[in-house]
Amino acid sequence: MLSRRILLCLLFLCVGLTACSSDKSEQFPVKNTPEIHDDGSTTLRRGNGAEPESLDPHQARSVPAANVLRDLYAGLVQIAPDGEIVPADAESWEVGEQKLVYTFTLRDNARWSNGEPLTAQDYVYSLRRSVDPVTGSPYAQLHTPIVNANDIIQGDKPPESLGVRALDDKTLEITLKSPTPYFLGTLAHSISYPVYRPAVEAHCAAFPQPGNAVTNGAYKMASWRVNSMIGLERNTEYWDDANTAIDRVEFYPITNGNSALSRYQAGELDWATKVPISQYDAIEKYIPAQLHTQPTLGVYYYGLNLRRPPFKDAPELRHALSMAIDRRVIVDKITRGDEIPAYGWIPPVVEGYDGAKFEWTTLSDADRNAKARELYEKAGYSEDKPLEVEIRYNSGEGNKKIASVIASMWRSVLGADVTLRNEEWKVFLDSVRQGATTEAYRLAWIGDYNDPNTFFELMNSKFGLNGTGYASAEYDRLQEKQAHMPDGPERNKVMKQAEATLLADSPVIPIYFYVSKYLIKDYVKGFEGNPLDAYYSKDLSIEP
Amino acid sequence: MLSYALRRLLGAFPTLLILLTLAFVMMRAAPGGPFDADRELPAQVKANLEAKYHLDEPLYQQYGRYLWDVAHFDFGPSFQYRDITVNDLIASGFPVSLKLGGASLAFALLFGVPLGMVAALRQNRPADYAAMTTAMLGISIPNFVLAPLMILLFAVYNDWLPAGGLGGWQNYVMPVLALGTAMMAYVARLSRASTIEVMRSNYVRTARAKGLSARRVVWVHALPAALTPVVSFLGPAAAGIITGSVVIETIFGIPGLGQFFVQGALNRDYTLVMGVVLFYGMLIVAFNLVVDLLYGWLDPRVSYS
Repeated sequence: MLSRRILLCLLFLCVGLTACSSDKSEQFPVKNTPEIHDDGSTTLRRGNGAEPESLDPHQARSVPAANVLRDLYAGLVQIAPDGEIVPADAESWEVGEQKLVYTFTLRDNARWSNGEPLTAQDYVYSLRRSVDPVTGSPYAQLHTPIVNANDIIQGDKPPESLGVRALDDKTLEITLKSPTPYFLGTLAHSISYPVYRPAVEAHCAAFPQPGNAVTNGAYKMASWRVNSMIGLERNTEYWDDANTAIDRVEFYPITNGNSALSRYQAGELDWATKVPISQYDAIEKYIPAQLHTQPTLGVYYYGLNLRRPPFKDAPELRHALSMAIDRRVIVDKITRGDEIPAYGWIPPVVEGYDGAKFEWTTLSDADRNAKARELYEKAGYSEDKPLEVEIRYNSGEGNKKIASVIASMWRSVLGADVTLRNEEWKVFLDSVRQGATTEAYRLAWIGDYNDPNTFFELMNSKFGLNGTGYASAEYDRLQEKQAHMPDGPERNKVMKQAEATLLADSPVIPIYFYVSKYLIKDYVKGFEGNPLDAYYSKDLSIEP
Repeated sequence: MLSYALRRLLGAFPTLLILLTLAFVMMRAAPGGPFDADRELPAQVKANLEAKYHLDEPLYQQYGRYLWDVAHFDFGPSFQYRDITVNDLIASGFPVSLKLGGASLAFALLFGVPLGMVAALRQNRPADYAAMTTAMLGISIPNFVLAPLMILLFAVYNDWLPAGGLGGWQNYVMPVLALGTAMMAYVARLSRASTIEVMRSNYVRTARAKGLSARRVVWVHALPAALTPVVSFLGPAAAGIITGSVVIETIFGIPGLGQFFVQGALNRDYTLVMGVVLFYGMLIVAFNLVVDLLYGWLDPRVSYS
């Protein structure tokens, strides 16, 4: 009996999958069922990658957490749908003549979700908390342009010495140690959001929980169930509440691309953040209008460990390996989501900077490969004495495919003997940090603000995780110089020099620049892509 | 029987202690720590975090502190989910896993045992072949294949069930089927084998010889004995199934305990991993005890006095 039932089920399945091939919508069904309640209120259901590790703005470090925090909190400034920095809690600001002192005027109607007024003192408390080592902020370093921030982070000065003070309830003054062109951009980051002091002090680590959380953004916490859903509801105390259209936002942690797609198709999500590459062709064919792609501030690269052979003191070899990689093949055949082949270090989508490129970018494939072989031989390798090199990557289907393709390119173009080795993420990070066994390894970097500096500083020898061991006095000097120059052609010149230095030294092989992919239902209006990948639910509406 | 149960429970303590110690040592031996990321923390920030979670103390001291806390049923704060304690994570995940696992278990038993019995009583006849083919299919089709197939059929191409998430009973139908099918098949095969064996035993022959009805022979005499292997299989299996399944939870977006084992290990969330491992250990001990007590009830030859 039961076997017959299974047979029947399988039959059903076949019928369901094949019989209705005439109609587009039945071949790739997507249910357009917006959640509109009887009273006309609306709910936006967003897929959101992994479960946020924390909703404390100063503790959060992941993209999913940032997505939720952006709806819960407002900073002094925010990112407009088109990516511009626009006023938020601060209605205006003045920058002193030497570009060191920023004076922000807070809105009169800026309030917390419990109705309490939001004051400059709240910002002073929060900015101090964000750099206080006791808080343990992973992004505290974003505030290093502020006077004394670095010393506070290192534990050398008390948090009270931070260059931030309240001139009165509505006026906040921030003093920088040197002019910083990207400073305003860092104020839109969650590390710069204010937190409500009484809630933090009363509930300690549990202050972001529903019932405890007091927020100042367009939404407030309604519910949070780990691995299930985070529910937000409209914050009627928000200064711009009149322009908020959507009443409730639900964030669903879905790490699996296929699950996200099924739930999107079944009408359970209005916005899916994970688009499975295996279904990319079908999506482009059947629902192209719902697929949104946006080049973002991210670079996928291979680091080369300069501390030990074979890459130590071998710039020719590093160039040869970089040149032997046909990046087009990788973006066209593997990532397949309109990713941009990388021939420089700074993503082209970064504002106001036209980056340097490898000299060989314009060569034909044959010439490029010939040049690569030439450099390979110059480095002392040949068919009889091939390079033995290991590519190490963290476990993950995409990384593995890319590593295999790169290995085969190095093999076929240069004749190198390549081995692949995958490691679990934390083991991998440990290996990269120690740099004792790694040779070539894959990593990626996502920018924190829309300025080239967020990529430049990664390669500074003093910056955090330096897996390549790259330490160029010239590069460090240029990087530090541009970071404190006013925006303009002069700074661009220095930045280009810095990038050219980096490309010439080639401690890293940039592979491609990231593109984010979203599926958004047609009835969700107001979505506009921006390179920071920063979207606020308050800017959207549901109009069936 | 009571003193037997008490003795067993006392004996569980060293077992759990060994389990906890092993989990502690293995987690600490794994390279990388909870605060490692591609964005390196400033040294002082990292040092402060480590001090906050007592990771700067010598290992034996951390171990002692942890044991002390666990003795007070405090599993500590999660290293990954900074706003939430491990106790809260288990308290929120376990009821969901219990519901899902309990339903899958019930499904496996309600369909598996009759299927196996029918197959055994009609051995080598079409009903037997049909039942065992079904069981073979159930064992061979992995749940990560079955689950997406069901989602496609019932949620995407039709509108019968939700594709995922946690809502009403409808959300449990597909996960229960996906989780319970393999177990159902296994139970069917076990009960078939044991029924065949029992039906050939002397006491069943005696019962028949006494002229008892076929139904009475099967239900009163054969069934309890035939269930013994199923029960011994069910003990650990039940503990496993109600502590969640990472595959099913990920596919269906169900907030059970299963994901914590994997996420916890990947994130080097020491406290979360040890919390769920210890919890799992306690359940296994408890279920094994229940199974042994059930033996005594099912099989008159077993005695605990």
